[in-house]
Amino acid sequence: MSLARRGQVCVSLILRIIILQSLHLLPIICRYLSQTWLIIFAVSKLLINLQLFLTYFQHWGTFARIWHVYDAKWQDPYKSAEMLKHYLLGTNKPIYHPLNNCGDHVVVINSKEIALRGDEWQKRVYFHHTTYHGGATWTLAWELHSKDPTLIVEKAVYRALPKNLQRRHNMQRLHIFPDEKIPEDMLKNISNQIKQLRDVPVRLNHIPKTEIDSFPQLLRYPKNHILK
Amino acid sequence: MVFLSLSLLTRARGPDEFWRKRKIFKLAAHFFARRRNCYSVAIRGVHRALTYSTIGRKLKKKDMKELQEQRLEAATSEHGLNFWILMEGLTRCNILLNRKSLTDLAIWEPRSFKAITDIACARAKQDHLKTKLNIQVPKSVISRGLIK
Repeated sequence: MSLARRGQVCVSLILRIIILQSLHLLPIICRYLSQTWLIIFAVSKLLINLQLFLTYFQHWGTFARIWHVYDAKWQDPYKSAEMLKHYLLGTNKPIYHPLNNCGDHVVVINSKEIALRGDEWQKRVYFHHTTYHGGATWTLAWELHSKDPTLIVEKAVYRALPKNLQRRHNMQRLHIFPDEKIPEDMLKNISNQIKQLRDVPVRLNHIPKTEIDSFPQLLRYPKNHILK
Repeated sequence: MVFLSLSLLTRARGPDEFWRKRKIFKLAAHFFARRRNCYSVAIRGVHRALTYSTIGRKLKKKDMKELQEQRLEAATSEHGLNFWILMEGLTRCNILLNRKSLTDLAIWEPRSFKAITDIACARAKQDHLKTKLNIQVPKSVISRGLIK
């Protein structure tokens, strides 16, 4: 999202303010400024105000926290995390500074349907220790995922973020949901969608029958032909 | 026989102890506890601090460069480029803006910065720079292959 684009988020709010302002001023204008040129003067004044308002809100828009949504369906959580960390840290903005708290919110949906590479579901192990004797546990990725489908994404992003005191605060701005359901109060904040790393292809068994039938074929097998 | 050399070799300790120490205490004014009040402790701390500040002068330049590059990376990726293409494209066009001024433009004048990235992008496209990015020549730049 470009800087200028960011400013346009508040446009509806500005227009509402302008309309309210003009409505409030209308009876006063009618009462005191009966002459035409004075009305023209008032209108031009209002237009200048509009310009000022726009600049003002653009400035605000630059510093606003933006809510992004990311569909994790069939995406590698570890590669996604490398991309998402820029949004959480604010390193995707030209105003970034390490002491400037300018990170955005990221809502990750469909974390249940993430894809790990190769045989990582069987081979990737998550280690935990309770600090008691014999308290070490090793959980396989598929086991962890069946217990909590949001944890793999969370751990991946946590690992990708820089290891400093801000890490847990940055994680506060990450919201992960196993399916497409986002709470209403979060959904109304969202104003941008992050592009997926890879496009989700259509599965062969999900292509509709009519499309398969209409696909051009070089030869048609006879009806009594049995495929091996 | 009079041996003068030994007494002459001892260091001259300055005009006045008070003023000599005061210089050090002034540098140690922001330290904690005895490090600011006792001379023998303060002098060690001051020496240490001055060494750090010498190193820090170099580090500051490096840090600023890193920050500016990070900001430019963010600003260019908004327009589908990256930092390397921007700098390479501008250098080839003989537009010798440094990182600081480019960052200032990106923050305070995003539209001017967009125009600059357009030029860099057109140049990169014209010179067939090797990139993984799928970039098109912006319509606002009309070069007719004349920029050299």
